[in-house]
Amino acid sequence: MATLLPEPTVEYAGGTLASEQVSLWRDGVRRLRRNKLALAAAIYLMLLVLVCVVSLFWTPYKPNLVGNCPTYDLPSAAHPLGCDDLGRDSLSRLMVGSQVSLAVGLATAFIVLAIGVVVGLIAGYFRGVVDGFISLAINIFYGVPPLLVAVALYVLLGPSLINIIIAISATVWMDMARLARGQALSIREREFIEAARSGGARAGRIVFGHILPNALGPIIVQATFVIPVAILTAAFLTFLGFGVPPPTADWGGMASEGLPSLQGGFDPYILLWPAMALSVTLLAFNFFGDGLRDAFDPRQKR
Amino acid sequence: MVTRGTLIYIGQRLVLIVFTVIVVSFGVFAVVHSLPGNAFVSDRVHGRALQILLHQYGLDQPIPVQYWSFLKGLVHGNLGVSLYIRDLPITPLVLRELSVSAMLGGAALIVTIGLGITFGVLAAVRQNTWVDYLLTGIAVVGYSVPSFVIASLGILIFGQWLNNLSHGAFFYPEPWTGTYGTLAELSLPAIALGFYTSGQITRITRAAMLDVIGQDYIRTARAKGLQDRIVILRHALRNALVPVTSILGPTVISIITGSVIIENIFGIPGLGKEFVESIFQHDYNVTVGVFTIYAFLIGFANLTVDLVYTVIDPRIRY
Repeated sequence: MATLLPEPTVEYAGGTLASEQVSLWRDGVRRLRRNKLALAAAIYLMLLVLVCVVSLFWTPYKPNLVGNCPTYDLPSAAHPLGCDDLGRDSLSRLMVGSQVSLAVGLATAFIVLAIGVVVGLIAGYFRGVVDGFISLAINIFYGVPPLLVAVALYVLLGPSLINIIIAISATVWMDMARLARGQALSIREREFIEAARSGGARAGRIVFGHILPNALGPIIVQATFVIPVAILTAAFLTFLGFGVPPPTADWGGMASEGLPSLQGGFDPYILLWPAMALSVTLLAFNFFGDGLRDAFDPRQKR
Repeated sequence: MVTRGTLIYIGQRLVLIVFTVIVVSFGVFAVVHSLPGNAFVSDRVHGRALQILLHQYGLDQPIPVQYWSFLKGLVHGNLGVSLYIRDLPITPLVLRELSVSAMLGGAALIVTIGLGITFGVLAAVRQNTWVDYLLTGIAVVGYSVPSFVIASLGILIFGQWLNNLSHGAFFYPEPWTGTYGTLAELSLPAIALGFYTSGQITRITRAAMLDVIGQDYIRTARAKGLQDRIVILRHALRNALVPVTSILGPTVISIITGSVIIENIFGIPGLGKEFVESIFQHDYNVTVGVFTIYAFLIGFANLTVDLVYTVIDPRIRY
């Protein structure tokens, strides 16, 4: 009878009142775009990725070339950010240092996403003994300072970038697991899960085909907050001397190399540049994460 | 109010703490004892002499046996002896360092809570004004900027610039002089350490205050003519503190973690500095001892926070 009924739209001044249907994702992107701070952060992060990619192929000077310029040289036209205690160009090292931060942040986020979500969903869906065991493991990990665990693991595994990532992942997976567990606990009681179960779906299909997609919003938001935490922890590790093996440049290690000359009072720049790069990057990730949360996870409170 | 349920709850938590300490110390024990090298490397002892030394400190026994004797010592409060400074008993050393760290951490906690709650309340009361934007901005900066950056900026400003400007009248003594620093020496590390966590507390306090201020009983309190200050501080803040208390546990952990960095920057003779040194010196017994102390500390900190919860919000019972 479609021909009998007119289109159910109300015309006004050339537009329609009935709002168009928008998917969760498009709605989220729209909300994200309206958030200027998050947008600025996103632009900065894109620039950072660009710098990182460029530094893989080109830097103004060789980042590890010792005696490239006078030691403790202050910023000049030839070396815009000055030189460090071994006469290496600070700008080149700062560019290369972004590689470590981004690699650690992104890789940790992926590992934590994989491990935390699987472990958490399994605990929340199966409950009982499995949940008890996993929750106990989570509680034990919460009972030790993460930095110290990371240091111990790092020392055990040996100095390399991969081992930093593993060590940090081992200390930050709990928040993700707890979130996924909570989501699974609440979603598993909903009707559509019951429907899936009565339809004969197996546990694996229910957990990853039905529960996971419905928990994805908060999980992705949480994952973006793993990135700054991982970068921060990596900076702490490298600052303490448990970092990527020298001479590879990374921001935490550069800051720690610059500390004596700052304390000595003759060249604060060696420390200030990596400190600023780290701070701005962490700020950007936090602003971006906040924006993402407001856009995709409106139920969650600030 | 101490009910039977509360006591049972405390008992369960104590069991969990003991269990955590056992698991953690075994984990660290296994890790450090499987590391290459040993504490005697710097002494250049090899062959027979090394065997004798290892035997003397029980390091030639299998790890489970060594761990069992460590546990037996732990029950008596004995963490063994240092391998780097030979035969130095660890327990008194670690306890003294713990007291130094506790002083720094306590000062940082005061900074964190003071700053966080003040900023949070101010931001909530002046919601959507420049005060709000400024304070929430400071909060985001607070939990984004690494503590060693804050510490370095502090050293640069107070230790160098102000010192030079005042021709030495303003003097920030940078390495900590005694075992326990003076108030002036303590201030900069405490602020550098506490600033990071204060951001989180500002955020939570602001959100909780906004939530509470919108409730009916606040309108009632205002309607009966109470001063704004009293309504905010006595009626609103008290209830807003409940969610704030819930992040005190993570706050304490993050202060403990941060203290490792801060102690190493400022040369403070606390647990964190000892931890890093013990790793570099292969002084395994000290590493395990420090870890054990930390595990106890975090367990009790979390338990205390949960009990404080019941005091602030009597509706919560265990």
